Amino acid sequence: MGSVTLTNIRKSYGAVEVLHGIDLDIADGEFTVLVGPSGCGKSTLLRSIAGLETISDGEISLDGEIINKRQPKERDIAMVFQNYALYPHMTVAKNMAFSLRLAKEAQSEIDRKVKDAAEILDLVPLLDRYPRQLSGGQRQRVAMGRAIVRDPKVFLFDEPLSNLDAKLRVQMRAEIKELHQRLKTTTIYVTHDQIEAMTMADKIVVMRGGHVEQIGSPLELYDRPASVFVAGFIGSPAMNFLPGSAKGGAIQTPNGDVIQGLPDGIAEGRAVIAGVRPEDLRLADQGIAARVVVIEPTGAETQLMLRTADTDITLTTRDRVSVAPGDTVHLQIEPGKLHCFDAETEMSLRTDDT
Amino acid sequence: MQNDRLLAYFMILPVVIAVLAFVIGPTYNVGTLSLTKIVMGQERGFGTFSNFTALTADPVFWLVLKNTAIWILGGTLLCVLVGLGVGAFLSVDSRLTTGLRALILLPWVLPDVVTAMAWKWMLHGQVGIIGQTLETTGLTEETISFLGDPNLVMWTLVVVLIWRKMPLVALILCAAIRSVPDDQIEAARMDGATAFERFRFVVIPNIAFSLTAVTVISMIWITAEFALPWIMTGGGPANSSQIMATYIYQQSFEFFNWGIASAMSVINLVMLASIVALYLYINRRSWASEGSK
Repeated sequence: MGSVTLTNIRKSYGAVEVLHGIDLDIADGEFTVLVGPSGCGKSTLLRSIAGLETISDGEISLDGEIINKRQPKERDIAMVFQNYALYPHMTVAKNMAFSLRLAKEAQSEIDRKVKDAAEILDLVPLLDRYPRQLSGGQRQRVAMGRAIVRDPKVFLFDEPLSNLDAKLRVQMRAEIKELHQRLKTTTIYVTHDQIEAMTMADKIVVMRGGHVEQIGSPLELYDRPASVFVAGFIGSPAMNFLPGSAKGGAIQTPNGDVIQGLPDGIAEGRAVIAGVRPEDLRLADQGIAARVVVIEPTGAETQLMLRTADTDITLTTRDRVSVAPGDTVHLQIEPGKLHCFDAETEMSLRTDDT
Repeated sequence: MQNDRLLAYFMILPVVIAVLAFVIGPTYNVGTLSLTKIVMGQERGFGTFSNFTALTADPVFWLVLKNTAIWILGGTLLCVLVGLGVGAFLSVDSRLTTGLRALILLPWVLPDVVTAMAWKWMLHGQVGIIGQTLETTGLTEETISFLGDPNLVMWTLVVVLIWRKMPLVALILCAAIRSVPDDQIEAARMDGATAFERFRFVVIPNIAFSLTAVTVISMIWITAEFALPWIMTGGGPANSSQIMATYIYQQSFEFFNWGIASAMSVINLVMLASIVALYLYINRRSWASEGSK
């Protein structure tokens, strides 16, 4: 069991408040990813759950028990650090056994648990090596092994893949996900990489400036972003934003283009932002006029960097296109794929859900 | 190519000459002198071990060896242990420790002679403030003569020595402790280690390199320390605080027993060389096991 509930978590360093009242429910066995740009408070929140930071206000509870006054070791939570934080003077086996040794478990029990974890993580041939003799990916696995042997209620990951190269990162991503499916331990994972968040999470918590911006499954966030920030943060290439104003049930951009699909009930003349994902745009005979700046074919799909009179627009298409830089093209938006945001609050104007 | 080599030799020539003149030369002289019989300051034939046999027959020499052991081993051990404790305390960030980190070097920058004189008077049997304070506060029944009591004097010297040498050890270890990666400490906290266990199992192994280096360096410092014991006690009372450095000085420059003094210097040199060899051995071993990092 390991359900985590955060209630009104606040954290201040002196006069500076970095977490402004975070509420979050994490169900048992859930893989939750905290994602946001640097400085958004995601790591601080994670470290508060671990007990490495003391919170200024609020409550952290694990399976209904309030744990925020407890020492880290009394919380039954294990953490995997960004820089692995392996003990350089201990072998892989000793690194993994350290917590069990401190807990004064029987040697036979320690050996069995270390062996089990090593088998899960493919570390058996490396047990007698020192951390410096391992590659980055192997060190990462040892760090996970150290967490696994304790069989904690919750795993915390603090940007565990950011020190690995791109290829290894994709591989480790899959390994961590597979590990979670196997152990089904509640996992809270911090990253600034929205692709990691999208691919790994059951639930994504998007944070910004010490607030929770939106909580939801990856596809919920992708399909129904609550704000311009979430819309721009989730998805790659990022969503295009076209500022304009409501006019006759449509959005009119400053340079005269008209975008259909404005939700009902928006006051005439209200300043809005139209958001459209690059793959929801297609080339057409008429519509928004834009000039082609750069063409980037990747084989499977082609990305076009376009420029209207006042904004840059990205378009991706799986079709082979026959345009050249400098050409003027016209864009249409796939029906029902337009996102509308209030220009002032930058919140979604969607009415059909929360 | 040939020119480059000549130039290289030429460039190191001054250092080679300096080392030959000031290190190798005197060492060679002491070596030959220790094997030369000397009577009343007159050289009477080279090629004898009589200086060494005379030394072993001298009861003071054995006392000196014992005192030197207290001085070097006790001094080094306490210096490093106290330094480790103080360094660990200083490594904690607070307003107090940042101020103390600067102040603690004070004993270290004072000249030897000033330190020795100040402590000599403070510890004086009749007029010393320390003995008086202990008596007036009722902690001792009568004034202790720290430097006059043959059983106390060696340990009193060691205390002053530590007061003087410990600060730098503490600072070096403080810097080493502060360079231990935070995430290892945090990982140990998550693993359930208490403060002591974190220190014992994470901090100490991480600073092992600095710890051995600082131990050997203090050992060499303490072996070479002369002014402090010489000024404070001059080896007395009745040779009870006589150590190698002071006894060599006394034998050569007060009694003019150069043969005996040289023999002791050779023994001293062998001791120092073994310490350094031990240090190099430990270091090479830990370098070998550290690998390229």
